[in-house]
Amino acid sequence: MIRVENLTMQLRGGGHVVSILKGLSFEVPRKQMVSVVGPSGSGKSTLLGLLAGLDKPTAGSIKLNGREITTWTEHQLAHFRRQNIGYLFQSFHLIPTLTALENVMLPLELSSDGAAKARARDLLEAVGLQDREDHYPTQLSGGEQQRVAVARAFSCRPPILLADEPTGNLDSATGQLVIDLLLRLHRDQGSTLILVTHDPTLAEQTERIITLHDGTIVSDKLIRS
Amino acid sequence: MQHTRFPISVLMAWREIRGSWRQFVFFLACLTVGVGAVVGIELFATNVETLILRDARSLLGGDLEIRAAHQLSESGRETLAALRDRNIDVTHVRELVAMAAVPSMEQAQTSNAQATQLVELKAVEELYPLYGRVELTSRQPLHPALASVESSCPARPCFSAVVQESLLISLGIQLHDHVKIGQAWFAVTGILVKEPDRVASAFSLGPRVLISRQALQATDLVKPGSRIRERYLLRVPESLALGPLRGELQGRLGPEGAGVSSYRDAQPRIRRFLDQLTIYLGLIGLTSLFVGGIGIACTIHGFMRHKLTTVAILKTLGADAGLLMRVYLFQSLFMGCLGSLGGMALGVGLQRLLPALLGELIPLAVTSHVTGLPLAKGLLVGVVTTLCFTIWPLLTIREIPPALVFRREVEQHHVPVRAGSWLRLAWNALLEIVRDRHRLGTALLTGGGLTVLAAWQARSLTLGALFLLAFGAAVVLLQVGAWALLHGLRKLPRPRSFVIRQALGNVQRPGNYTRGMAVAIGVGVMVIVTVALVKSSLLVALGERIPKDAPTFFFIDIQPDQREAFEEIVQREAHHSSYRLTPVVRARLKALDGNVVDPEEHKGKRNGWYFTREYALTALSVLPRDNVVVKGTWWTTDSEEMRKGDHENQEVPIRVSLEDEAAANLGVDLGSTIEFTVQGAAVSAVVESTRKVDWGSFSMNFFMILSPGALDGASMTYIASAKVEAEEEMPLQRALVRALPNVTAIKVGDVLANVARLLEQLAWAIQGIALLSMVSGAVVMTAALSSTRYRRLYESAILKAVGGTRRIVVESFAVEFALIGGLAGLIGVGLASALSWAILHFFLDLSWTFQPLVLGWGLLATVGLAVAVGLLSTFKILGEPPLAVLRQE
Repeated sequence: MIRVENLTMQLRGGGHVVSILKGLSFEVPRKQMVSVVGPSGSGKSTLLGLLAGLDKPTAGSIKLNGREITTWTEHQLAHFRRQNIGYLFQSFHLIPTLTALENVMLPLELSSDGAAKARARDLLEAVGLQDREDHYPTQLSGGEQQRVAVARAFSCRPPILLADEPTGNLDSATGQLVIDLLLRLHRDQGSTLILVTHDPTLAEQTERIITLHDGTIVSDKLIRS
Repeated sequence: MQHTRFPISVLMAWREIRGSWRQFVFFLACLTVGVGAVVGIELFATNVETLILRDARSLLGGDLEIRAAHQLSESGRETLAALRDRNIDVTHVRELVAMAAVPSMEQAQTSNAQATQLVELKAVEELYPLYGRVELTSRQPLHPALASVESSCPARPCFSAVVQESLLISLGIQLHDHVKIGQAWFAVTGILVKEPDRVASAFSLGPRVLISRQALQATDLVKPGSRIRERYLLRVPESLALGPLRGELQGRLGPEGAGVSSYRDAQPRIRRFLDQLTIYLGLIGLTSLFVGGIGIACTIHGFMRHKLTTVAILKTLGADAGLLMRVYLFQSLFMGCLGSLGGMALGVGLQRLLPALLGELIPLAVTSHVTGLPLAKGLLVGVVTTLCFTIWPLLTIREIPPALVFRREVEQHHVPVRAGSWLRLAWNALLEIVRDRHRLGTALLTGGGLTVLAAWQARSLTLGALFLLAFGAAVVLLQVGAWALLHGLRKLPRPRSFVIRQALGNVQRPGNYTRGMAVAIGVGVMVIVTVALVKSSLLVALGERIPKDAPTFFFIDIQPDQREAFEEIVQREAHHSSYRLTPVVRARLKALDGNVVDPEEHKGKRNGWYFTREYALTALSVLPRDNVVVKGTWWTTDSEEMRKGDHENQEVPIRVSLEDEAAANLGVDLGSTIEFTVQGAAVSAVVESTRKVDWGSFSMNFFMILSPGALDGASMTYIASAKVEAEEEMPLQRALVRALPNVTAIKVGDVLANVARLLEQLAWAIQGIALLSMVSGAVVMTAALSSTRYRRLYESAILKAVGGTRRIVVESFAVEFALIGGLAGLIGVGLASALSWAILHFFLDLSWTFQPLVLGWGLLATVGLAVAVGLLSTFKILGEPPLAVLRQE
């Protein structure tokens, strides 16, 4: 269960204070699949980053499974992310010096999983890249890179998966392939999925759509349960 | 590879190394050069030490050596003769300075050959050498060469001599030709290559000539008061304990002024000299390592900028800052070990070059050996340096926010990119250190680590700390100087030339590492130019400070009955000369204020030679010119008359006037009593005055002058100084050698030339090692330029796209590098001027002279180096087609 209350985020940029999020409040029950939509600059990615504990909000509270994470130290947050958060980026963000397999193994190794390699191989097989495990990111296509990123995001079976425009850098066919994969793994592993997207078709495939505009929630619709 | 066996930090570090080793090439180069310098010098020092310890017996000439400035008394000789009953081998060696002459100039084969040459004569017996071997070019043994007599001698008595090749060269003669030494003739029967017990060749007065003991007698050079070093070398059976024997001999022969040394002392004087030399060379080597450290810090800083996203991603995936610090620290340490290994290899090569670089400064034939300890030291020094220069830049890992992965473009203030004025950065850094315990801890650890390194290298905490302070001050001053010059450049009106405008813009651009490059290059420039300035000032002082009326020659060992003949020859052969004759006796210190002086206590100690040396005593009524009484009063003629009157009634003590430095070092003052041993007899004198002596006048001066009449009755010899016109020098020398062969002429110009040569050699050695700092500086510059490669690539592509030619790009780069070199050079030579002034003023008591040539060369060479290194580092960029670059962008 994710509970967000009065979440506010202001940033300094170019000498001005910019309000990115203006007192958001919402809850996401376990295993729900939510999409967050809105125009560019509405605060979608910032919201996702705050939910992952990648930054501190200016005000407000975020409780994940009843635990307030906004007061945690950097160290506590890092350890929390290892076990609980999977994160998928628009620009993949694979580590360029690691092979596909090592990228997937990384979260498992950080969690001291003794069977990291076997689990990572299974995941690469699940995303159809078993024969590309020794390739470096630069040797993979954009779609392949994002599939590796999906495998990495799911590697620790995180209860919460956050995806930031996962198809934004992909053509539509490859994007659909990645989405199918994402939805399948979400179903198989039963994690809560929050998806930031511009794509209305993709948003329609989730259970709930939260629409942001200029840092506030302008609509929150449950479209299926 | 079974990954799970390793901690995750090691595993991640290994993967990082595998993926990004190329970015560490300059890191490795910086460390390799620095560690190479340290290892090379350390290996050399170890080899010298090993050689001295291994060859201690042959270097001394025996297990024990008895040394005296005069022949031992009858009882002394009996003591030594009695040693043979205890199965101890004793051999007598006599060393003195003498003149060698060719029979006639016709014999000389070369036009610039001299008729006479000062030589270091050594007379040996059959048993010599007790240890080691005398090597001749012909590989034949020494004694047959000394015993052979050739029939072709121009006169009798005729003997054989083995000589150093330099004698043949200076006299223009060849093997089997003849020379006259004293009253005897010698056929040169061998050329000396190595003499086991001659170590201080750098300071010799002339080439060595080895003859037999009988031959020395025939030369008739041994006269009362002659300067002869008497050495008795002993080979002691292993069954006899050396310590007690040495004590026994010291007890018996010490009162005669003889000193007894054991091979176990292993050449304290040479060791001290070489220790000092290797310590200072080692510190200069450490300078290049620390300059490399700056390069290491720059590389890590650039690397972390490059890794911002990776670190942010890793943090997103759950890696905490501590783990990431460990990952990058392991990576740096691995690279540190690798660089140190490279440095060890370089050091092994360098130690082979060092003996050649040091040349005559090293009185021993040092061979190259590779031993474990210096290599281990290199590894440790390399790793500690890596740690000291990497932890600080790695601390930025803590400040990289994971949010960077999705908000890099919005929030710049979180990104740890440093910008702003130098002063603000320094102030911010200071605040950060005080506020942040990690930074404070790192600063202390780095400071401590560098101090330990410097103290280890200097073998002294004080010297190490001083070195570190000086290095730190130089870096700060170079930074401030670079900042000030850059600030000044900004104030200049914008130049009309596009090329210069572009270059100026690049030099001042944030992130161009201009100041870092200026510091890295400037340190080396500073050291090299400082040495050059001090050397030139010393040479100028040697050449120009000699007064016009300074003597050309000193003549020693003139016997009392030769005085008139000497004066007559000088007046006849050198009409325009002025000369001065002074009677002297040789004396050693026996006691100071009743405390017996034991030379053994002072051997090898700093300024210990004041206690161990032989003094030339004279008695004068008039204070010599160039002398100023600083304490007490000089005896006047009136007071002497009064004292003479008193003397008839009662015994008046002899009085002595001391050179003030000697008085200070001997710890005596007005009223103190000094007891001398003069020709076996004790002479006591009371200190009545101390004098400041201007040794630079090159006049005949004395540490100790006794009151008139004090040496009446003693067997005196004369020393003389003479100023002779250049064209009269040769005839005078020839006439003196012919008539008074025992009189030794020392040419002031030759001695000064010798000193100047050694000075050049020392400066060359220091500059050779300091050159490695310049190499480190050049590597740092290459590293800094490579970090701006993409920016340059892009800019040059745009320039070409809008119609700029390759030539314009090259010119703008060249001007930029020339500006960087000029900056480093200007500040480097500026600091070198200040440093050389301080050295000359405070340590050498000489005035600093403006030397535009040295400074100009320093500046020009630095600009040239910077342009060469810069263009070599960026030439690849010039060939890139603009479209390819712009497409990638």
